[in-house]
Amino acid sequence: MSGLRNDAPDDVDLGRVWTSVAAQVWRRQPGWLERTAGRLLRSPGLARALLTTPSLLLPWLLTSVVVLAAGAAATTDSGQPLVALLAPAVAAAAIAYSYGPGIDPAWELACSMAVSDRMVLLVRALAVFAVNAVLGLAASAVSAVSVSGPANGTAAAVTFGWLIPMTAVCAFALAVATVARSANAGAAAGVAAWLIIVLSGRVASGHFASAVTDTVLFLPYLAIGAGCVTVALYATRIPRGTL
Amino acid sequence: MNVEITDLTRRFGRNQAVAGVSLQAGPGVFGLLGPNGAGKTTLLRMMATVIPPTTGRLRLLDRDPATYGPRREVRRRLGYLPQNLGYYPGFTVAEFVEYFALLKEMPAARVPAAVATAVERVDLGGKAKAKLRTLSGGMLRRVGIAQAIVNEPELLLLDEPTAGLDPEQRVHFRALLRELGQRATVVVSTHLVEDVGAACTQVALMDQGKVVFDGTPGELTARGTEQGTGDAPLERGYTAVLAAARA
Repeated sequence: MSGLRNDAPDDVDLGRVWTSVAAQVWRRQPGWLERTAGRLLRSPGLARALLTTPSLLLPWLLTSVVVLAAGAAATTDSGQPLVALLAPAVAAAAIAYSYGPGIDPAWELACSMAVSDRMVLLVRALAVFAVNAVLGLAASAVSAVSVSGPANGTAAAVTFGWLIPMTAVCAFALAVATVARSANAGAAAGVAAWLIIVLSGRVASGHFASAVTDTVLFLPYLAIGAGCVTVALYATRIPRGTL
Repeated sequence: MNVEITDLTRRFGRNQAVAGVSLQAGPGVFGLLGPNGAGKTTLLRMMATVIPPTTGRLRLLDRDPATYGPRREVRRRLGYLPQNLGYYPGFTVAEFVEYFALLKEMPAARVPAAVATAVERVDLGGKAKAKLRTLSGGMLRRVGIAQAIVNEPELLLLDEPTAGLDPEQRVHFRALLRELGQRATVVVSTHLVEDVGAACTQVALMDQGKVVFDGTPGELTARGTEQGTGDAPLERGYTAVLAAARA
C-alpha cells in the first residue's frame, strides 16, 4: 500500500478510493423482502429491525414460548373473558420485555436513535406473530397429513385462532402507526381493534372466546391483514416520475 | 451553543443522581471528570435523550428534546457511546455499524460509504467482516465508537471511551477526538485525567451530582499548585478541587 502511495500522482486521493472500494466490498445487499418492508414502513432502519428479529435468538425463543402459551390458553374454549382479553397483553408484554430493556443488549443505544424504539418494538411484535403464524401453518399442514386425533386440531386451532388474528391486529397497528407517524397511535389502534373484535364476538355468539375460536372470523382476519398492507402500500407509494 | 443545560436534575427514587447542573458547550472537546457515582453517566444519558430530566432545562443543537419532533432531529445529529456497549454477537462489525446508521435515519445511499469511513477511522478495517463475538474488549469499544461517529454527528457523547484501549490505541483515539472536536461538540466522560489533558479544550468536574469546577484544563491544573495530591499537575488540580468541594 505504501508503495502504491508513493507511485500515485499527487492529485489522486487514495484514501477516498480505498473508502469507496471498502464500501462496495463490505456493503450488505438487502433482499427484496427488506427493500419492500423498507418502502412500506418508510424506513430502511425499521425494515432492518424487522428482518433481524428472528436472528436475535434469546429474545426470539422467549417471546415465541410466551406467545404460543398465551395462544394455547386463549384458544381453549373456556368462556373466560379475561383469557381472550388478556392473552394479547401478555404476549405484547413478553415482546416488549424481550426486545426491550429486559434482554436486548443494545437497548440503551436503541433509545438514542431517531427511529423510535416503540416503532421498533411494534415491527418486532409483527415479526414474532407473522413468523410464528407461518411456522404454525406449516405445522398444521404436516399434522393434518401425518397425525390423527386431537393433536392435529391443536396446531390448527392455535394458528388460525390466535397467531393469524394477532398478526392481523399487529399489521393493523403498524399500518396506523406508519400512516400517523406515531407508535403510540398504532398501539392504541391495535388495542382498540382487539377489544372491538372480542366484544363483537360476545354480542354475536354470547361468549368472549369466540374471537379466537369462531372459524367464521378467520377470513375477516386475513382480509384485515391484507387491507392493512394495501393501506400501507398506498400511503407509502412513490409517485410516478419521482424516481 | 450546541449544549445548554440549566438547573438540570435527575432522581431515581430517593437517589438524586444529578442535582442542579448548569453547563454550556460549543464545538470542541468537553471533558466530564469525576469519581464513581458523581452523576456523569446520568448526565450523559439525559443528553443522549435516553432518559428525561426530572426538572431543569435542556437544549441540544438549539432544540428542545422534550418534544417528539425536535428530539428526532437531535437524534439524527447525535452520536452516543454508552458506558456498557450492548451488542449483537452474531453481527459483523460492518453490519452493526450499518444497523445503527439506518436507525439514525441516514439516507440509505450514503450508508455504505459512511460505514466504511467510520470503520476505517477506528482502525478496524481488517475486522470489518468479523463477527462481534470474536473481537477483544478494546476492539468492541472501537466498534462502539464507529457506530457513534458513523453519521458525522454534531453532538458526540462518549462515556468512558478509552476503557479497554491499549496505550497506542488511546493515543490514536485522542487524535480522532481532537479532529472531531474541530466542528462538533464532543462530550467525553472519563476517569482518566490524562485523556482530558491531552484532548479537551474545556473540562467540568462533577461530584455528588453537582458540577464543582467548569473551566479549561489549564485552569484545573492551576488549582492544584498548593494543596492537591497526585503524580501529574492535572491530577493535583482534580484532587484539590474535589477536596475543596467536600470540605
